[in-house]
Amino acid sequence: MGLELSSHLHPVGSFDLSDHPVPTGREEVWRFTPLKRLRGLHDGAALGGTGVGAEYDGPDGVAVEPLAAGSAELGSSGFVPTDRVSARVWHEAGQRYAVTVPADTELDAPAVLTLTGKSVDDATATHAVITIGAHSRATVVVRFEGSATLADVVEIVVGDGAQLTYVTVQDWADDAVHHSTQHAKVGRDASLKHVAVTFGGDLVRHDTTATYDGPGGSIEMLGLYFADEGQHIEHRLFVDHTAPKTKSHVVYKGALQGQGAHTVWIGNVLIRKEAEGIETYEENRNLVLTDGCQADSVPNLEIETGEIEGAGHASATARFDDEQLFYLRSRGVSEKEARRLVVHGFFNDLIRKIAVPELEESLTATVETELAKNVLKELS
Amino acid sequence: MTSIEERNPELQGLGRYQFGWADSDEAGALATRGLNETVVRDISSKKSEPQWMLDLRLKGLKLFHRKPMPTWGSDLSAIDFDNIKYFVRSSEKQATSWEELPEDIKNTYDKLGIPEAEKQRLVAGVAAQYESEVVYHSIREDLEEQGVIFVDTDTGLREHEELFKEYFGTVIPVGDNKFAALNTSVWSGGSFIYVPKGVHVDIPLQAYFRINTENMGQFERTLIIVDEDAYVHYVEGCTAPIYSSDSLHSAVVEIIVKKGGRCRYTTIQNWSNNVYNLVTKRATCDAGATMEWVDGNIGSKVTMKYPAIYLMGEHAKGETLSIAFAGEGQHQDAGAKMVHAAPHTSSSILSKSVARGGGRTSYRGLIQVNEGAHGSKSNVLCDALLVDQISRSDTYPYVDIREDDVSMGHEASVSKVSDDQLFYLMSRGMEQDEAMAMIVRGFVEPIAKELPMEYALELNRLIELQMEGAVG
Repeated sequence: MGLELSSHLHPVGSFDLSDHPVPTGREEVWRFTPLKRLRGLHDGAALGGTGVGAEYDGPDGVAVEPLAAGSAELGSSGFVPTDRVSARVWHEAGQRYAVTVPADTELDAPAVLTLTGKSVDDATATHAVITIGAHSRATVVVRFEGSATLADVVEIVVGDGAQLTYVTVQDWADDAVHHSTQHAKVGRDASLKHVAVTFGGDLVRHDTTATYDGPGGSIEMLGLYFADEGQHIEHRLFVDHTAPKTKSHVVYKGALQGQGAHTVWIGNVLIRKEAEGIETYEENRNLVLTDGCQADSVPNLEIETGEIEGAGHASATARFDDEQLFYLRSRGVSEKEARRLVVHGFFNDLIRKIAVPELEESLTATVETELAKNVLKELS
Repeated sequence: MTSIEERNPELQGLGRYQFGWADSDEAGALATRGLNETVVRDISSKKSEPQWMLDLRLKGLKLFHRKPMPTWGSDLSAIDFDNIKYFVRSSEKQATSWEELPEDIKNTYDKLGIPEAEKQRLVAGVAAQYESEVVYHSIREDLEEQGVIFVDTDTGLREHEELFKEYFGTVIPVGDNKFAALNTSVWSGGSFIYVPKGVHVDIPLQAYFRINTENMGQFERTLIIVDEDAYVHYVEGCTAPIYSSDSLHSAVVEIIVKKGGRCRYTTIQNWSNNVYNLVTKRATCDAGATMEWVDGNIGSKVTMKYPAIYLMGEHAKGETLSIAFAGEGQHQDAGAKMVHAAPHTSSSILSKSVARGGGRTSYRGLIQVNEGAHGSKSNVLCDALLVDQISRSDTYPYVDIREDDVSMGHEASVSKVSDDQLFYLMSRGMEQDEAMAMIVRGFVEPIAKELPMEYALELNRLIELQMEGAVG
C-alpha cells in the first residue's frame, strides 16, 4: 500500500489479525468511540451470527449472489484492514455476498438492498463487494433497519468511466450497534457519489476510505446525520489521492439534540506526490439544537505536491443563528415554525445534492420526525 | 546578480544567509558539553542563585530524563543531547552603554541593526542577548519612572526575587513537556518584564537573541507579567550564524495577563538552517484580558512551536497570527493552542504558510472548550501556499469541545501560485522571481501589516531572499 508516511492518521493495513491488538481507546482512531458500547465487536464477541436478514429489490441486470470465503472478489477493491474490527470481519464474516452490475449497463431504477436486524444479542458480521462494470451507470441503496449488533465491510469497485451513486441509510432502532468499514476504488474517469444517512442506532461508526485506480476519477461524499439523546454517530473519512487529476468533494451535515448526543466527524485527505492537478474540498457543519450535546469535527489535510488545482476544508459547529430566527420572527413566523424552517434549510441543499428522487421525500419526512421529538415538542 | 539585488544593492552584502557570519569563539571553547547534575549545579552557583531555584533546576533535570521524546510532529531523532553546551558565559560583564561593548560584539550588532534602532529611539529598550547572558541593556528613563521592570531574567531573579518566585513556573510547570523540563534545568538569559497596574507602554520593548557558539543550546526563559489594565508589546527576533553541526534552541516563555490587561508578543524567528527550535510558549488571560501572539517562523531546520493562550476569565480574548516559511530541508511545524476555561471567551487563529524547494509546513492547532465555558467563540483560518511540486503542507486542527453553547469555525485552504497570476504580473514587465515574491508578499500581507514597521520591512526583504531562485 505504500503507506510508510510519517503520519498517525492512516495506519498501515494488514490481513493478520495479530497485527491488530484490541483497542484500548487511547489510540488516535479510537479516542472518540465509546468502546464499552461496541458490544465486543472490537474484542472477542463471536461474529458468526445471522442476526441480519437481507432482501433485494431492484431492476434486472444486477446480480446479487453469495460469495464463499476466499473468493477472488473479496479484496478486489484493494481493501486491507487497518483496524481490528474490519480485520475480524475479513476473517469471521458469516455472510459474504456480491452485488454486480456488468459493464456497459445503465440501470433505470435504484437497486435497493434492505438489511433488517432481528436481535442485538446475535452479533453479526457481513462482507459485501459491490462492483460496477466499466461505463455502467447505477444507483445502489443499502438500507439498515431493526435491531442488530453488526460489523460489516463494504467494498466498492467503480470500473473505468462508470458512475455509481451509493447510498447507505442507517434507519436503525434505538438499540442497534453498527460498525461499518467501507472502501472504494474509483477507476479512470469514473465517478462515485457516496451518501451516508444516519438517523437511528445507539452507536454507529463509519470508516470510509477511498482511493483512485487511475487519473480523472471523481468522488463526492455526502453525509446527513441526526443524533438524538445518548446516541453516538461517528464518521471517519479518508480520501487518498493516489492518481493525478482526481477530484474529491465532501459535505457532511449533522444536527444534534438531547442529553449526551455525540457526533464525530474526521475528514482526512492525503494528496500524494504523483497526484498532480487534483482538487479537494471537505466541509462539515453541525447544528446544535439543545443543551448537552457534543460535536467533534476534525478535518486534516496532508499535501505532498504543490502542483494542485486547489485544496481546502471547513468545519463549523454552532447553535441556531439568532439573526436568522429574528428575521423570520419579525416576518410574523412563529418561533416553532422558524426553527423548523432553519433546520430544513440547513439540510435541504444537501438532500437535493443526493439527487435520488426516490429518497428525497422520505429524508425530508425523517428530518421532520426527528424535529418533532425534541425541538418542536418543547415549544408546542 | 539577480534583478532584485541590482535594485537593492544593500542586499548583496547580506548574501544567501545574511546573518551567517561568526565571531571568534572565545567563550565557547571553555564550556563543557553534555548534561548532568554537576552542570546544573554549576550554572546555578555561577549565577549565585537562591536554593529554591537550584531545587527547581534539579527537578527539571530529573523530569527531563524521565519524559519521553514527542513521537508526533517533526523527526527529532538527530538531536544529540550529549553534544550540546548547556551554559556559556560571555567573557564580558554587563555593559550599560553602547560604547562599553567589546568590538566584535559591537560589529555583530551593527549587522543586526541595533544601534540604528537605538539612535532613532524606535525601541523602548534594547536588551541584547549575547551567549546566554545579557551584556548590553538599556531602558528609557520614563519607563523606569512608571515602574516598568524590563531586565534580563537573571537580573530579574536577583533584584526582584519575590515577584519572580510568585510567577515563575506557574504558567508552564516544570514537567509540562520534555523540553520545558530541559529549559527549567538549564535556563539562562531571556527577558523579565513587569508592567504595573494601568501602565500603558507606548513603544515596543525589544530584545535580540543570538546563538554564537557552535553546538550551544540556547535556553532562554522569558517571564512577562502584565498587571491589571496595563499594556505592553514585546518584540523578540532571533538570528544565528551558520554552523556545521546541529544546534538546539529550546526557550520557555510565560506570560500572565491580569484583569483587563493586554499583551502582544511579536517574534520573528530566523535561526540558521541547522537549528532545532523547540519552544514552549504559553499565556494566561484573566477576565477581560487580551493576549496576542504574532509569530513568524522563517529559519531553523525544525521548528515545533504552538503558542498557547489559556482564557481563564470571562470575556478574555486570545489571538494568534502565525506565519511560516519552509525552504529546502526545513520543517515548520507551527500552530496555536487555545483553551477556553471561562464563559464568553473568544479566540481567533490566523495561520499562513509558504513552502518551497521541498520544504514542509504543518499547521497543528488545538481548540479546547472546557465544560462551563458557554458562549465561547473560536475561529481558525489557515492558508498555505505551495510554490513548487516537491514541497509539502499539512493541516492538523484538533478540536475538543466539552460545552454545547459555543460557536466554532475552521477553514483551511491550500493553493499553488497560479500561472494566471504570474502571467499577469509578467505581462506588466516584471521578472518572474520578482512577480513570485510579490504574490507571496500579498499572501502574507494580513500578518505583515500587524508587525512593527521595521520588522515588516525585514520580513519583506527576507521573503525576497527566500523566493530567489524559487522559480525556473
